[in-house]
Amino acid sequence: MYMKVLKFGAVWCNGCLVMRPRWAEIEKEHPWLKTEYYDFDTKKEIVRKYGIDSGVLPVFIFLDNNEKEILRLSGEIEKEELLRVIAEHESK
Amino acid sequence: MVQKIIQSLFIFVFILFFAHPVFAADVTLHFFWSNGCPHCAKEKVFLRTLQETHPELTVKEYEITSDISNVQLMEKIGKELKADISGVPFTLIGKEQFVGYLNDETTGKKIEEAVTCAIKNGCEDMVSGLASNKNSQTSVHDMNDIPETLTIPLFGQIQIRKFSLPFLTFLVALLDGFNPCAMWTLLFLISVLLGMKDRKRMWILGTAFIVSSALVYFLFLSAWLNLFLFLGVVVWVRMLIGLVALVAGGYNIRDYFVNTQGGCAVMGNEKRQKIFEQMRSITQRRQFLLALGGIILLAIAVNIVELICSAGLPAIYTKILSFSHLPSWQYYLYLLFYTFIFMLDDLIIFFTAMVTLQAVGIQSKYSRFSHLIGGALMLGIGILLLFKPEWLMFG
Repeated sequence: MYMKVLKFGAVWCNGCLVMRPRWAEIEKEHPWLKTEYYDFDTKKEIVRKYGIDSGVLPVFIFLDNNEKEILRLSGEIEKEELLRVIAEHESK
Repeated sequence: MVQKIIQSLFIFVFILFFAHPVFAADVTLHFFWSNGCPHCAKEKVFLRTLQETHPELTVKEYEITSDISNVQLMEKIGKELKADISGVPFTLIGKEQFVGYLNDETTGKKIEEAVTCAIKNGCEDMVSGLASNKNSQTSVHDMNDIPETLTIPLFGQIQIRKFSLPFLTFLVALLDGFNPCAMWTLLFLISVLLGMKDRKRMWILGTAFIVSSALVYFLFLSAWLNLFLFLGVVVWVRMLIGLVALVAGGYNIRDYFVNTQGGCAVMGNEKRQKIFEQMRSITQRRQFLLALGGIILLAIAVNIVELICSAGLPAIYTKILSFSHLPSWQYYLYLLFYTFIFMLDDLIIFFTAMVTLQAVGIQSKYSRFSHLIGGALMLGIGILLLFKPEWLMFG
């Protein structure tokens, strides 16, 4: 079982603050899930690499064991929706 | 030269045969007004009293929203006398004109002086000549044609007369202020403040930022209100604000259906970085007073820029407020209440962060619903401003 989630957010972004406790719960319930948080303002290189320069924050990028992007979500996502996505892709 | 003489003669003959200025024994006052105009209503009451004290005075009334010929007559007068006919109430005694009506002590006094002078010296009644083919109205319009109930989308049937101004203030201010994505400066400030060890400094700087932001908004609302009070009920201004309400309503409803994700759009990087840098350097100043002054100035600057983006709802609200006959202090009390409700989400976010020492956000789904409800309300207000402004007179 492997999955990595790159979380892009900012301290000034309301939606990012809303998502923070949701991800904290998910990470606690799924200890095998790897997550990395990147600040939109300070981690410019990776922000550019994943093309987060425009659109909506927060952005969540799901990667497989080959670090290949399998899914990208943005905005305020319900916890149930995130759990569904994780369950759907964890066996892949 | 000959052409000029012919032209002058032509104008002279035209006035002689068609304008028919009448030197009346009694004085006639021509009063142009519109339904839903609070200043007109005020002047109407004054004119009734004036008629009682001056029996020689005849008041002719012309309602301009229900009778196009009254508008045409007003335009004719404007042309003939080179008078300012940009708004109502418009009052004419002889050639003496009055646009707008402030109160009995100022405009009322001037009108009374003009009437007294006309009674004493006589004056020519230009309008009777101009309006020879038009039956002027002498009866006072009954403004009690407001229905008891009104059906508004999502609200159902509401009692018009009980639909209070405080409730409208609360609703519009909530809609105006409840925009979690617009709180980015406050959220950034909170993130900087939470990094401080000095809790007292943290509270004072944060509070100063919020109070300064509120003050700017209060002044902004006051400016709108005073502009509308000054203009009285200029018809095209009311129409324009009605259209703004329709557009704002449509935009809010559209936002409900389009922005289903609820995230915050990434705004201009340079502008944001600049503000953040300033905020960081100001809050970290060793001298407390410099930091305090800096944060106040920054709050004022940031909010003035933001005002440009949020002019619609304050304009609509203050336009409705200007319809009400209220003492000045009550107007400002309403604006204070509006500002408080407008700042409510900021206050909740700030106090929660300061008490729990953790930044929290507000779920955008609530903001979406506020857009939907507010959008429907704005559409209703827009329609009323355009077609039934008197229904929005709460005072």
